[in-house]
Amino acid sequence: MNKGMSLSIFEIVGSPICVASGDGQKVYDRLAATLKEGLNVTLSFHNITILTSAFLNAAIGQLYGSFSEEQIRSMLTVRDMQPDDLALLKRVVETAKLYFKDPKKFDRAVQEALGSDSDES
Amino acid sequence: MKLFLPEIRHDQAGFEALIRLHAQTKDCLFDDIEIDMNATTWFDADMCAAFGAILYHLGAELNTISLTNMRSDVGDILARNGFLSHYGREKIPDRWGTTIPYRRFDVKDDRYFADYIEAELMNRSEMPAMSPALLKKFRESVFEIFSNAVLHSRTERGIFSCGQSYPKRQRLDFSVADLGIGMRQNIKENTGLSFTPQQAIAWATEGRNTTKRGLIPGGLGLKLLRDFIDLNGGRIQIVSDAGYWRRENGKTVIARLNRPFPGTVASIEINTADMQSYALSSEISENDIF
Repeated sequence: MNKGMSLSIFEIVGSPICVASGDGQKVYDRLAATLKEGLNVTLSFHNITILTSAFLNAAIGQLYGSFSEEQIRSMLTVRDMQPDDLALLKRVVETAKLYFKDPKKFDRAVQEALGSDSDES
Repeated sequence: MKLFLPEIRHDQAGFEALIRLHAQTKDCLFDDIEIDMNATTWFDADMCAAFGAILYHLGAELNTISLTNMRSDVGDILARNGFLSHYGREKIPDRWGTTIPYRRFDVKDDRYFADYIEAELMNRSEMPAMSPALLKKFRESVFEIFSNAVLHSRTERGIFSCGQSYPKRQRLDFSVADLGIGMRQNIKENTGLSFTPQQAIAWATEGRNTTKRGLIPGGLGLKLLRDFIDLNGGRIQIVSDAGYWRRENGKTVIARLNRPFPGTVASIEINTADMQSYALSSEISENDIF
């Protein structure tokens, strides 16, 4: 295993509330720089109390546009996350994989979503 | 110009009444606009977000607004949550501690919005006693709604929010309105898809649909909100352009409104007595994320 480092989200954002896309971008910038150097990263969510999909999309989802799934899986680990936050991150990651795999197909997954369970008045 | 406002409840009719006000005034410039509220026998406080957005739009067009003949009980509600402070009245103390004050934010005010939510929800003993799990889900939901407005609305005139709790009914209402381009236009510009306004809202709340383009993926916020409200037994209403969308008891209702709202409003009502743990049926491992 190569040399690794640990990043604290609290230290980067400066708050336990991680809701803004702009704050997620700050985390992404550090993650991407570290991964580009070929270093393993452990991302700590210690003391983080609130996360949104907007923050996680920018911080982590965005990685799938620059790095392969294999790279991310082998080089990035998370810790100190609450189970429901892990579930949110998992949804963000699955969405990001689809988004970057085939953006056009992503767009086409459209009409079928309409009218399936709606009552129009 | 003098206009009359009926009762405003947080339902389709309430939104339509506010939209009618917008339609009657949207072209006014340097005008004196009197809104007679004698017939406003009820005003659901969280609707201040949508009402405030419409009035802010009027003010930005350099109109002078006066709210007249307001019944004292309605005036008390709107003064307690700080709404009337924007229109020349003093704020009065929130004796029962049931309001989440009316505020206007700019799109870069994520941090201020977070501070507002923490101060008004977390650090107040008068707020309804919600389970820690529910409180967390509710906070996440309001942040998701705000993020949605920040990321998609392109509003230059701000984002407006307001809430109210109803302890006897064990309900907590919270609304966020923006003066942006609306979902229909956003989807059209980003994906080329042409929808009716009501279909556009349905599209944005379904499946994996997203208008996000470029480096950062998106398209989850409204689905997470919908999933939470289904579990909680609450209600979401979204008004965008001339579209109306409501989700309650696992059912969705969509409708076309007669006229458009000048942006988007998302309004949620949660059941504060909900004691679900929101624990997952199977734990996800930190080693199985990527």
